[in-house]
Order: sequence, then C-alpha cells, then structure tokens
Amino acid sequence: MLVDYPGPWTFLLGRLDAREIPLQNPILLWTFVLVSVGAVAVIGAVTYYGSWGYLWREWLTSLDHKRIGVMYCLLGVAMMFRGFIDGVMMRTQQLMAVGPKSPGYMGALHGYLPPYHFGQIYSAHGTIMILFAITPILVGIMNIIVPLQIGARDMAYPYLNAMSFWLTAAATGLVMISLFVGDFSHAGWVGLSPLTELAYSPGVGVDYWSWAVQIGGVGTTLASINIIATIIKMRAPGMSWTRMPIFCWTALSASVVGLSSFPVLTAAVALLSLDRYAGTHFFTPGLGGNLMLYTDLFWIWGHPEVYYVVLPAFGILSEIIPTFSEKPLFGYVTMAAASIAIGGVSWSVWLHHFFTMGAGPGVNAFFSIASMLVGIPTGVKVFNWAFTLYRGRVRFDVPMLWALGALVLLLTGGLTGMMLAMPAINYTVHNSVFVVAHFHNMLNVVGFACFGAINYWFPKVFGFRLDERTGKLAFWFFSAGTVVLFGSMYALGFMGMPRRMDYIPFTSWRPLLMGEEAGILLFLVASYYFVKQLFVSIRDRAKNRVTASDAWGTSRSLEWLTHSPVPFYNFAVQPHINSRDEWAWRREHGLGHVRPDRYEDIHLPDNTPLPVMLGACAFALGFGLVWRMYWLAASGLVGIVVLVIARSFQDGPGHTVPGARIRQMEASYAAAPGEVGAARDPVGGVAAWQTASAPRPRAGDGRPARP
Amino acid sequence: MALRKGRALGRLGAALLLFLTGCAQKAYWLVHPKGAIARTEWHTTVLDVAVMGGVVLVAGGLVAVFLWRYRVGNRSRTYDPTFTASLVIEILVWGVPLLVVGYLSYFSVKSVLATNPYDPLAMRGALARQGRNGEAFARRADPAMTSALAPAMRAPRPLRVEVITTDWQWVFIYPKEGIATVDELVVPVRTPVKFDLTSATVVNDFFIPELVGEIDVMPGMRTKQAMIAGRTGVYHGYSDDYSGGGFSWMGFSTRVVDHARFEKWVRRVRAARDQLSFARFSRIARPTINLAQRVSHFSEVQKGLFDHVIGRVMAGRVYRTPLAMTENMTKPMNVRMIK
Ligand code: HEM
Ligand SMILES: [Cu+2]
Ligand SMILES: [Cu+2]
Repeated sequence: MLVDYPGPWTFLLGRLDAREIPLQNPILLWTFVLVSVGAVAVIGAVTYYGSWGYLWREWLTSLDHKRIGVMYCLLGVAMMFRGFIDGVMMRTQQLMAVGPKSPGYMGALHGYLPPYHFGQIYSAHGTIMILFAITPILVGIMNIIVPLQIGARDMAYPYLNAMSFWLTAAATGLVMISLFVGDFSHAGWVGLSPLTELAYSPGVGVDYWSWAVQIGGVGTTLASINIIATIIKMRAPGMSWTRMPIFCWTALSASVVGLSSFPVLTAAVALLSLDRYAGTHFFTPGLGGNLMLYTDLFWIWGHPEVYYVVLPAFGILSEIIPTFSEKPLFGYVTMAAASIAIGGVSWSVWLHHFFTMGAGPGVNAFFSIASMLVGIPTGVKVFNWAFTLYRGRVRFDVPMLWALGALVLLLTGGLTGMMLAMPAINYTVHNSVFVVAHFHNMLNVVGFACFGAINYWFPKVFGFRLDERTGKLAFWFFSAGTVVLFGSMYALGFMGMPRRMDYIPFTSWRPLLMGEEAGILLFLVASYYFVKQLFVSIRDRAKNRVTASDAWGTSRSLEWLTHSPVPFYNFAVQPHINSRDEWAWRREHGLGHVRPDRYEDIHLPDNTPLPVMLGACAFALGFGLVWRMYWLAASGLVGIVVLVIARSFQDGPGHTVPGARIRQMEASYAAAPGEVGAARDPVGGVAAWQTASAPRPRAGDGRPARP
Repeated sequence: MALRKGRALGRLGAALLLFLTGCAQKAYWLVHPKGAIARTEWHTTVLDVAVMGGVVLVAGGLVAVFLWRYRVGNRSRTYDPTFTASLVIEILVWGVPLLVVGYLSYFSVKSVLATNPYDPLAMRGALARQGRNGEAFARRADPAMTSALAPAMRAPRPLRVEVITTDWQWVFIYPKEGIATVDELVVPVRTPVKFDLTSATVVNDFFIPELVGEIDVMPGMRTKQAMIAGRTGVYHGYSDDYSGGGFSWMGFSTRVVDHARFEKWVRRVRAARDQLSFARFSRIARPTINLAQRVSHFSEVQKGLFDHVIGRVMAGRVYRTPLAMTENMTKPMNVRMIK
C-alpha cells in the first residue's frame, strides 16, 4: 500500500470486517432496527400493491423534469428529517453534559455521546443539511418550475437531469450507510484541515465524507449546467430576458455560481483524497504541505455554495409575495440585477470565513469590505419586497406566511452577517456558536422559502392544495422554534461558547442551553404538524382539489397557465409570451382559457434505466473506495464508463404524441374541469395522469425529427 | 379568567427572562471586556449593531406597516397594482445601503488596524493612555519630576510568551524567564503581552474572551497575538477550533496578577522539579486529555523549543490519533487521560 493506515486489509473486503458494524452501540442498533422495519414495511407495501413496475416505469427510469424534481424534493425532505434528528441529538448531548459533575451514560464521560460519536453527528448534520437536504430540495424546485416558467417541454438535457439526480441519490446513500457500516467523518462539514489527514482521522469516516461530497458535487455541477442551458436556450417565443420570471433569474444566477464553484470543491477534496490514498502531502502540516490551501479552496466553494442555496430562495420569495399581494413585483429590473450582483460578489468574499488565520490588516480589510458589499443587493431586495406589499391587497395564505417569516429572518441574519464581516468583531465570535446561529438563521431563510415553495407549487404538481390549518400550525411552531433556539444560541455567542463542544465546561452556559433545547422541542412539534399536513392533505385531497389552472387565483407567471396537475407534456401548444407576468396578463385580458385551434405533435424522450444504473455504479465506486475494496471500486468505475459509452450508441429516438391525442386529452380537461378521467385521483397528480394517458413507445416508432 | 392567565403567562415569561439573562449577567464575557483589545472589539460590535440595527428596524418597520395597512381586510386602503417602479425609491434603496456599507467599511478598516494581532494599535493606544495618566499622576505628586516615580511613566516592557498546542493541551513557554507551564497562563496586569503561537498537531484557536479575540494556532507555522489586560483576575481561555476528541477539555486558566505577584510566581515555577526538554515535550504532545486542567510547571526549558517544534512538524513529525479512539463509539476514549 502507498500509505500506512492502521488496521487490517483483505482483498475481498478491503478494510471492512464484522467489527465495523457498530452493533454494540445501542443508539445505532435501535436506529438500525427501526430503519430495517421501515424498509421492510415499504418494500412489503410496494410488493403487496404490485407497484414495482409502476415505480420503475414511471419514476425511477423517468426523464420527466417534474418527476425528477419531485424525487429530488422527496430525497431532500427525507434527509432533512435525518439531519433534524442529528440536531436533536446534539442539543440533548450538550444539555446533558454541562459541568464536571454531569453524569455519563453508555460509555460517555458526560452525557450519552462519546466525543467522536458527537463529532460524527455534527459533521453528518452539516453535510446532510447543506448538500443533501436543502440543495436537493432547491434543485428539485428549480427542476419543476424553471421549464414551466419559461414555457419549455422539459429541461435542455433530460437524460443529464436524471443522471444528476441519481448521482445525488448515490451520494446520499453513502452518507446514510455510514451510519451502519463503519463511521462518518468527525471533522465537520467543512473538512477541517489537517484533521482530515490520515494521521488524525485514521478511520474510514473522512473517506465516506469525501466520496459523498465528490459524487454529490458532480451531480450538482451537472444540474447547474442543465439549468443554465435550459434558461438560455429553451425560453418560449416572445420571452425576452426582461420578460423572464424573477425565479428564473435567480435560478440562472445560482446555477452560474454552482457551475463555477463546485469544481473547486471537487479539486480540493480530490487533493485531500490523494493525501489519504496516495500518500501525497498537499494539505499535511509537514513535508511541504499547506493546510491553509485547503481552507482557501474549500471556502472558495463554500461561500458561493451558501449563495447557491439562498439565491433560489430569494426567487421563491419574489414569486410568492407578488401573488399574495395581488401586485407585480416592485422593481423587477433591480431585482434581476441584484440577483446577478449577489452571485457576482459571492466569489470575492471567501476569506471572511477565516479572518483569524493571521492574514495582515490589508487582506482582512479587503475581504471585510467585499463581504459587506453583498449586503447592498440583499438590502435592495428586502426594500423591493416591502414596496411590493405597498398598495397591494395582502392575503396571509400559508405560502405567504413562510415567505414573510423568511423576510424577517433575512433581516436578523443580515445584521449578524454584517457583524461577522467586520474582522474586529469576527475575532471574538469566529468559530463560536454565534456563527452557528448566524448561518442557521440564514439557512432557515432558505428553509422557510422551501416550505413556502412546497405549499405554493404543490397544487401545480399534484392538483390539490395542502391543508391550511395544519400548515399554519407547522409555520408558527417552526417560527417559534427558530426564535427560541437561535435566539439562545446568539446569546451564548456573547458568552464566548465555541461550536462543536460535546462537553460543556461552564455551568453558566446551562440556562441558554435549556433555551436551545426548548427551541428544538418546538421544531419537533413543527415537524409533527408538517407530516400531519401532508397526511391530512392527501386524505382530504378531494376537498382541496384544484380544478382551475391557477391554484391561488392571483398568480402571475407562466406555470399557472397550464393545467393543475401539469400534464406530462407541460403545455399543449407552446405559449407565446406577451408580457413579463404572462399568466396575469392573459387573465387580465380575458385570455385565461382560450383553446388553441390547432394541436401539434409533441416529441418526448423515452424512459431509460441508464441513469439509475449509473447511480448504482457511482455508489459502488464510492463504497469500494471508502473501504479500499479496489475490485469493487474498479467495477463501479468500469460500469460507469460502459454505461456512458452505451448511452452514446443509443440514439434514443424518443416518442411522439400525435396532435390528435393531445386534443383528446385537452378536451377531457374542458368537458368537466373537476373530473378528468385518468386524473380523477390526483395523488401523485402527474403520476396517475401520465400513466393512464401516455402512449408507450413502440419498437417501430421510427425516428421523427425533434421539435 | 383570560386576564389571570395572561398575567400568569407574563410572570412566567419575566421569570424566564430573568433566569436566562439576569443570573448569568457576568457570563456574557464579550460584553464585559477586561482588556484593551477585547474592549475595542466590543465597541466595534456595539457600533455595528447600532448602525445595522437602524437599517433593519427601518426595513422591518416598512414591511410591518405595509402588511398592516394593505391587508386584505382593510377597506380604507388604496389598491394600486400599477405601482411597480419608482426612480426615487430605486435611488433610495440602492443609495441608503451603499452609504451604510460605506460608513461601516471605513469603520471596519479602522478597527482592523486597531485589533491587528501582529501590531494592535489599540494596545498602543491603551499604553499611551496609561502613560499619560501615569505622567499626570507623577506630575501631581512630584512637579519637578525628580523622584523614582518616573519609571512608571515608561511603557512597561512587553512580556513574551510562546504558545504551543498539542492534542489536547496548552504549553506556555516564557523564553525570557526560561520557564514553562502546561494549561496555565499567568501574566502581569497592564503590561503588553506578546504571543507567538504554533501547534504540534492540528489547528486550534487561541481565545480568552474577556481579554483578546481569536487567532489560529497552526502546525508548522507561527502566528502572533498581543494583548494587554486591564484588570487582575482569573479568566478562562480555551481552544475555539475543533481539534479532535479532547477538544472540549482544552481549556487553560489565565491569571492576571500585579507585578510583585508575577515575580513571585516566576520564582515558584523556577523551583519546580520538572524541566521541559525536547524529549519531554514529545511525551506531553502525545494525545492526552487533561480532564481537570491539571497544571504542570517546568523550571527550565531547552533553548529553541518553539522553533524546534515548528521545524519538526515541517519535517513531517506527527502525533497520530489512535484508530481505536476515533472508531470507538461505546467507550469514552482510550488515550491518556489526566484526571
Ligand atoms: C449579508 C450577507 C452575509 C454576510 C455579510 C455574511 C457573513 C458571514 C461571515 C463573515 C461568516 C464567517 C463567520 C466565521 O466563521 O467567523 C459567515 C458564515 C456563514 N454564513 Fe454568512 N453572511 C451573509 C449571508 C449568508 C447567507 C445568505 C447564508 C446562507 C444562506 C450564509 C451562510 C453562512 C454559513 C453556512 C456560514 C458558516 C459556515 C461554517 O463556518 O460552518 N450567510 N457569514
Ligand atoms: Cu444545523
Ligand atoms: Cu461566507
């Protein structure tokens, strides 16, 4: 071997042996039991209802951007629950382990989690929440909404889209399996250097982290390419840049940020892996390595990444607020400019994440000013939203509540961001829980926007609205939790409490830790109501059914022009764009429901199993590398190469839905808007509808020209 | 009934607030700085919060007022969906943040220089003030300026301390005095202290909240920090950057004492039996968790230890974390622990 890591190695299993399965740890054991029971239940149910074929045909192999988007969102929400449970565990540990007299359980000196287990939990929490919860949810929303808003049939590259998703899913799988096989990194979501080097992290944890980040990063990079290409090339006729919905502007800006920053992460983590696998010295303290280089590279990605998630969130707010104010967005041009500006400036501020690393006053001052410049376009956005409300007719539906909550959080998070951007202040709160409070404050802006978006666009995708009462309860408990938890955390920051402590040496911090615990209990209630909201809504879907194309009656952009749930072909005929708020324009001109007099054939790509298989190979590659089972890694890699080659030979003619068929389907909408045959039961709206109505591609379908 | 309930709730809230803030007043270490640098940092915080708080209040206030006034139930409102752009407002919404950021930038540069760890102007300022006060005092006591009070006017010579972090302890070397300690930092009051810092293993962050802000402590590198403590007392210092399993126990106490006490302490350490040679240091640097922050004293330090540690790390010396330690999730930690 090129490097000497401790522990045995065998050809077949690499570093893996039975002891790596942590059955002796009661927490993991019970988690494992619970997960297994859940998995068996799900598999049993799918088998019982005979839905394997349906799942495979309609979801797993689908190239439909809406389905892929829904799968992204499901993945993200599921992972958000996992990350949330990590959060509860950390809060509870910190509350239990205060002061030298606090008792220890299950092998811990204090509290119930030994240091390295605690370290794994916070590292997994951060990695999951940022890369595998919030990012997939946002990518999913962009996936669903961007093509609809620009009047496209699908993304520019449907196949690439599915591939991005399955790579993300493979990476998520790696993080999840690290729970039960081996251990996860303890070096934080940022991969603290040189803690991630073999000398200080000899186990497989860091490898799990790095390969998950690598594979997920490739997925997100590809997704960015796809969204950029879609927005640039696929806009409906008449949609000039200045008529493009603002959400698309933010999606574009975010994707440019993503595309240009993710490769830096890939490079940084690849170098780290070279250190760990090939014995190089890029980031080791000695032998010519430079650990500060890693920190720089990481944050050159890391800071843009936080704007990668916040920009679409800004876009969501810019869609929700006008709808529920019954007014166009105030200052459209400014808003578009601000979105681009935020993206632009976000590249030039990364050093504010390590002002304390000893750079001279010139460097620190430069990055301080650059960081504060971000505040300008952000401030502009807030004021523009405020003036969107001005002289409007403001309703407080659930999406609007989430949007307004996000707005308030943006104000407080902006304030603390501006504090952190001043080196003299940063010296006192860097790496303390104050920073943790700042970015949870900000990421909650994104979270609130995501929940707002889910409530807002749910009827578009599934054909029924989410329950209002439980939705509001979820919102209020979530907000209360945010205030109580992160309020306490900010205060603890002024007490000087460092982040990532598994044992709290000072009892004076206990009262506020109790405050944090109270906050997380409120979050627990909120997530109960969120689940209940989904449950109640699906149960009462007939009641919450949306028959009009516009679920809210006052929506503005193009996605509300087509039916709810959206048929698989999005728009029966490609719309021509007349205005910035196309749907509002048509509504106001009485053109809301005119039918076209001519339907054209629609060409769509065929389903393909290659992306799922590619995801599986990527998982094998990652898992093989983590455990140094080189045969498995090699097979995974070969599999990927073979699949890519196979795809390039398969020229995928796609299939054509004849215009006459479209006319039929559209007519069934018109006949009785509430009773579209196949779409009567709108669970999985797109789903049921498409299953029944989409023609199966036949072998002799020929090869018609793509539209 | 409702009233009583409300009052009870109010009382509960007040009690809670008192509990959270009142009894822990002294615990807000950043709010009560005890040294010139920390004080400058706190002043910067207050100013920044005041300025940004103003902006946030204006923006939040606008939102709140508009929400209330233009809510759908309010019949007296005007509804005007054509109000979507206004040059004046545009200029204001870009202009005001620009001005605010401009002002804060100026202030940021100023405070960066004041607290620059390598040469903090705030320390010079504090010393100058101290000098002036001392001088005024001396003049009053002795107008002719002939007495022995004069030396008090001179800025005291800075104390140098070399700091080395290991997994997971602090080694403080006093090169001039030729002594060293583990997990105990003692400095004279109102005297500039200059730190050189490095790490034998991973990155840590040197932080004494009441006295001075953070500076990273990095292996194979030297960073610097400077501080001046204004008041005697015992202050908590610790690492602020996660460094592995013993991180939470990686504290040290900082005692700020008057000059006489400091001299006495140095003499006491000089009497210690232990000595800090290169070899002795490598034993300390093995992964160790000092649970009770047990202090050790060394009466003598092998010359050039600090540079030696940097050199060794650069040459590839590592103090490995045992695999059994990082993998274990059911036993506390199988490394050396000092109880
Ligand atoms: C006005 C805009 C903002 C400014 C000036 C700002 C400033 C800062 C600064 C200076 C830090 C470094 C703190 C430290 O480690 O000492 C930081 C950390 C962070 N911020 Fe912001 N921020 C802003 C907005 C945002 C937004 C919108 C997000 C995300 C949605 C965000 C997420 C984060 C995250 C995730 C971290 C730290 C991560 C870590 O260390 O683990 N920030 N911010
Ligand atoms: Cu979190
Ligand atoms: Cu940043």
